[in-house]
Amino acid sequence: MDKRTSMLGTDPHILTIRCQPFRRLPWRRSALLSLGLMLFLAANSQPAFSQRTSTPRKFSSHSISGVKFVIGLENLKQGAKGTITSAHGGLEFSSGKASAKIPSSSIQDIFTGEESRQDVGGMKGAIVESVIPYGGGRVVSLFSHRVDVLTVEYVDSSGGFHGAIFVLPAGRAAMFRDELVAQGAKAFLHTEAPKPGEQKQ
Amino acid sequence: MRLRLYPPLLSVCSLTAFVLWMATGLYAQPAPTSPLQKPREFSASSILVERIVPPEDLLMPEDTRISIYENVISELIKTKIFKHVYRSGDRQADTAPDLITLRLTPEVFKPGSQKEREVITIAGATSIQVRLEFIARDGKVSLEKVVNGKVRFYGENLRATYDLAKKVGKVVEKSF
Repeated sequence: MDKRTSMLGTDPHILTIRCQPFRRLPWRRSALLSLGLMLFLAANSQPAFSQRTSTPRKFSSHSISGVKFVIGLENLKQGAKGTITSAHGGLEFSSGKASAKIPSSSIQDIFTGEESRQDVGGMKGAIVESVIPYGGGRVVSLFSHRVDVLTVEYVDSSGGFHGAIFVLPAGRAAMFRDELVAQGAKAFLHTEAPKPGEQKQ
Repeated sequence: MRLRLYPPLLSVCSLTAFVLWMATGLYAQPAPTSPLQKPREFSASSILVERIVPPEDLLMPEDTRISIYENVISELIKTKIFKHVYRSGDRQADTAPDLITLRLTPEVFKPGSQKEREVITIAGATSIQVRLEFIARDGKVSLEKVVNGKVRFYGENLRATYDLAKKVGKVVEKSF
């Protein structure tokens, strides 16, 4: 009788069947294999960790993407989505190939505000709502998200007054205004206007 | 062969003939006069839109104020009534002959809610009331009107400013 089976006091036949994979792969070899695997993983993960600490994330504090242009810039379609940048001495909005620039020196005032926008609103929302039966579509309207509204007043070369409105991701407008002010744009302190109805708490 | 006319068929034919006769009669009526042929109340070759300054007791969000201004300018350009649509402060307007100034004074502003509009439908409408004053070079108010802009069911709050601008455009089309 085998030594191990006698120690365990079990049927040798059963043990043979159960330990079949271990017999093929001795524990020493399996330990070495797992150790090698661990070493391989550690070696591969090390550059990734060191990369994160040594080089900063590619993030420019001067540009904000996912900005919606509402109104007030020429050569740009209303509702266009793009990137707003506060560099090169002014505000620049680019959407695809089209872009527009407002020099900091021509900016007369900057206003920031908060609003709540529907996640699925407008015509698209109406269609979605109509598809869901028993008026359940109205639940879709309950989902909303906060946004910042940036309003920039500026003058053109002949002194004509303009206003441009942008919708930014929440919490970005004030920072962007400060950047523009740092570049020479004017901005005054303002009294807070009434917030739209959804902001009533 | 004898032609048999069934009473239902006869009635259908007579009804069709009546409808056709009515339709031709309507088409034969003289078409309403086009806006170009309408006698205009006022005439001006250029217009200057003044910057919107709400009264001190009326708190209005800046984006709404700017949106009204910009939408009104684009609507005035769309009408093609004026050769030039000048913005407030434009130096070129000083020398423009036959200039009329449009002053927009907000009177009422009710901030609505897009969420309420889309969930409850009957609530949450945003409404704006603005007084229009068309002022001639001599400072006389030649035309005064009150227009409203609303967004009732679907759309963002700023949609009310677009509605208002459309109505301003209609007033201009009627009067100039």
